[in-house]
Amino acid sequence: METLLALLALILALALAGISFIAYRKSHLRPALYLVIAFLLLAIKKTIETAKLAAWIERDVELAVDILEVIVLALLVLSLWRR
Amino acid sequence: MERRNEILKAITDRPGTTFRELARELGLGIGDLQYHLRKLEKEGKVFSRKIGRRRYLFPKGFEETAQRLLIAISTETRRRILLLLIERPKNQKEIAKSLGLSQPTVSYHMDELLKLGVVTAEKESRSVVYTLSHDPELIARLIKDYRPSLWEKLADNLIDLLTSVGDGE
Repeated sequence: METLLALLALILALALAGISFIAYRKSHLRPALYLVIAFLLLAIKKTIETAKLAAWIERDVELAVDILEVIVLALLVLSLWRR
Repeated sequence: MERRNEILKAITDRPGTTFRELARELGLGIGDLQYHLRKLEKEGKVFSRKIGRRRYLFPKGFEETAQRLLIAISTETRRRILLLLIERPKNQKEIAKSLGLSQPTVSYHMDELLKLGVVTAEKESRSVVYTLSHDPELIARLIKDYRPSLWEKLADNLIDLLTSVGDGE
């Protein structure tokens, strides 16, 4: 179940990155570019989190995931703040 | 050869017609029309541009206009604004009210349309009135046949969302 949800989140993140990319190509709005990066990072984060199931990388993964989470959230704020 | 001239005349008379529409109008088979269009394109008499899910056909000499108009109609809000301006010239406030959009969104799209040279702006008392600077019939034809993909529709909504937040005017 956990893996299924992670996979679903990954697919959604990639779809949103794709939509943001089309929006950026059409409009050249910088916030759309921030969203592309944010959703791609979210996809990477989700992949790493899923890989956490392999316990041997657990400690490093925690740190990587936390950093990515902060970057993703900062990019989302940036995309709404800076038009 | 006569058939090819007929196709060329149809495209020259109605620039921006689509492949599908042309086939229907001239009663031609897909393969037949494809063959003649390839020949005409090779001779440099016509050219085509694919946007959304349709291929538009233009006569020679229409390159720049076609490019500008097809970019202009590539987002949903701009299509709605252009259709509104076909009726009569309007200012930003009227456009925003008619389409239920925020002023910053309309402002962003009007700037883009101005940059593309599809509309002209004229100051009238305290507002700016926008007028189409291309043949309304051509614009209406391009918009009528435009079929965006689902991804494009979602991207258009995202553009409007991003342009409606922030500092505005």
